[in-house]
Amino acid sequence: MGYVIQTNHLVKQFGQEKAVDNISLAIPEGEVYGFLGPNGAGKTTTIRMLLGLMTSTSGSIHIFNQDLNKERIDILKHVGSLVENPSYYPHLTAEENLEVFRKVYGVPKSRIREVLGVVRLSDVAGKKVKAFSLGMKQRLGIAIALLHQPKLLILDEPTNGLDPSGIIEIRHLIKRLPDEFGMTVLISSHLLSEIDQIATSVGIISEGKMIFQDSIENLREHAQQNVVLRVSDSIAASQALLVRGVDAKNQDGRVYLHENSDDHVSQAIRMLVQDGYAVYRAEEEKRSLEDIFLAMTKGHAS
Amino acid sequence: MLPVLFVGPAIALMTGLMSNIAAMETEMNAWYLLLQYMILPYALLFLPLMAGVLSGLICRYEHQAGGWKQFLSLPVTRGSVFTVKYLLLIATVFAIQLLFLGAVYLAGTVKEIADPFPMMIIWKSVLGGWIAIFPLVALQLWMSMFWKNFAAPFAVNVIFTLPSILAVNSETFGPYYPWGQPFLMMYTGGASESVFYVPWDQVLTVVGGSLVVFFAAGWTYFQRKSV
Amino acid sequence: MIGQLLRSDFLKIRRKGFWLLTVIGPLGVVFMQTVNYGVRKDYLLKQSDDNWSYYLSNVNMFTPLALVLGIVILTSLMASVENETNAWKQLIALPVSKMTVYLSKFTVLAALLLVASLLLMLFTLGYGYYLDLGTDIPYIDVVKFSFYPYIAALPVLAIHLWIALVSKNQGVPVTTGVIGVILTYMSYNLPDWLIWKWPALMNGWVEPLTIVWLGIGFGVLLYLAGMLDFVRRDVT
Repeated sequence: MGYVIQTNHLVKQFGQEKAVDNISLAIPEGEVYGFLGPNGAGKTTTIRMLLGLMTSTSGSIHIFNQDLNKERIDILKHVGSLVENPSYYPHLTAEENLEVFRKVYGVPKSRIREVLGVVRLSDVAGKKVKAFSLGMKQRLGIAIALLHQPKLLILDEPTNGLDPSGIIEIRHLIKRLPDEFGMTVLISSHLLSEIDQIATSVGIISEGKMIFQDSIENLREHAQQNVVLRVSDSIAASQALLVRGVDAKNQDGRVYLHENSDDHVSQAIRMLVQDGYAVYRAEEEKRSLEDIFLAMTKGHAS
Repeated sequence: MLPVLFVGPAIALMTGLMSNIAAMETEMNAWYLLLQYMILPYALLFLPLMAGVLSGLICRYEHQAGGWKQFLSLPVTRGSVFTVKYLLLIATVFAIQLLFLGAVYLAGTVKEIADPFPMMIIWKSVLGGWIAIFPLVALQLWMSMFWKNFAAPFAVNVIFTLPSILAVNSETFGPYYPWGQPFLMMYTGGASESVFYVPWDQVLTVVGGSLVVFFAAGWTYFQRKSV
Repeated sequence: MIGQLLRSDFLKIRRKGFWLLTVIGPLGVVFMQTVNYGVRKDYLLKQSDDNWSYYLSNVNMFTPLALVLGIVILTSLMASVENETNAWKQLIALPVSKMTVYLSKFTVLAALLLVASLLLMLFTLGYGYYLDLGTDIPYIDVVKFSFYPYIAALPVLAIHLWIALVSKNQGVPVTTGVIGVILTYMSYNLPDWLIWKWPALMNGWVEPLTIVWLGIGFGVLLYLAGMLDFVRRDVT
């Protein structure tokens, strides 16, 4: 299994500022790759370089193992994209919008009906797009991206500005793509919850730099768990534990155990009970991916 | 927006400097001669066309990224938004007219015109041209609110402005053609005993009348515009 | 590739008024003369022995202005079609070269203006017949007056398309356009090297046919300059 997208020390500089700083993406075939980062981190700039909309200051981009600088047109034949707000021609109907792009791709007319079906816009095919809701426009944008059956789909913030039901719909659609059509998907977002639900691998970018890139499972493992104890006197209890060499912390009236193996936890509880503290609850506190994400990007910023 | 103000006066200055007034044998005050040269492209084409460009510029931010929505959700009435934009536009045109006056003076100084500067009458021309542009600004503001792009309102503007080249030469049709009024009111060859270079009732009916119609239409359109 | 892109571009300009303007332009130019001759036909017929030539020169008074104005409007309109929802980012991500994208835009407008020139010829002839200007119809001159200004205006088309396609603020190309229009209007007093003067075909230094060649030559040159600038720009 090869990489569909590989970038090598990609840099984009605007004046003095490096919007993208030394990014090396590696996106395996058949994955839904979540490209995560706060707004302004350089996601869109990276994506624009991947599509040849912007030239890189330095570094290289290979898509389908072809050099983007040399074989841009060949590569783009197999890439579908939706960058930020959908682009469309408001004075044309949905069908005409697709026809504008179909003519250039040179795919059969039947594809228009097919993609309209995929994004459930068949009923409004003959309506002018300016009358569409934002969600419908976004779906049309995805239809345009799917028109030529691309091997790689690049979606930049595809759920931006959508209502919850629209978000769920797009999410379901994206999830289907790798299995049903054999596509690799790159999807960017500033919301981890978004990526968490559809991505199989993740890249996190902050201030133009890549700070994490791996499978989503490995990211979840970063979610280290604390065990939280609710006891009668948390201050005294945590001190008692510390004295005996247990890594414990008092916070918000609870005792946090950093070491979370079964042995350690049972030992700590035994100590507390022996010392006469009442232990009411012992529970596992899971740090959400959101917390990790925030910690990672914040840690990087400071 | 600022550089746009200088375009017209610069064109007028260029026209003035290119004119060969010294070669003209005439009893007339040389300033009038100069002014008539400079007015031709400026009042006939530039002012009416520029009214459209300025209107487009003043609506540009609102057309981008749904700015109308944001703007109109502020505690302001739509009527006052329209009126303020209109007032800003005519203030801008006034600034352009003053710069034009400066251009006339500059050109005349370079040309070393010895005759006394006819302050009163040049003011008449500058003010008259300014007033004559009022209705055209109202129409173009309406058009610019209606269309997102610059090209369509400009096309409307062009379609009405171009015929004034013929219209101002016609004694029967010219006085009634709103797009010809900026030229007619700036042209110093007109009826000089009146307040302006065109008869007072022409100012009231043609300029005033078209102003009322265009302003009311634009104002009403903006009240109903869905954003 | 260019064929596919052209068909796509012609589809995009539907319902945007491009074709309407293509008809209105030449219609307006001849309509000016219907007003002119309608009001004072007898006077105008007395001005010259050759009524057809005189009529053609009257028509041609407005042709350069209408051409340059048409170019300004059409180029800005063309840019607005892609600018409105920033469709550039979709268009440039298509498997076509940026040069082809630019060539297609230019070709569409050049074709529309060619149609406008053809219509101008037909309208000119039509109203000329109606005016009954004599049986000696100077067909060659009618063709020249209809198509020479168009070819002489190609450099103007190239430069205004360039400005329109690379400007974020369409106020810039329209303001530049107003300047161009005024230069065309004042062309009589202006130096011959100004491209806005060429559509008027009244450069003293050369034959009208030379202006046609100059138009093609400088048209290609300015087209290339615009295209190369367009290609090297990032799409934001």
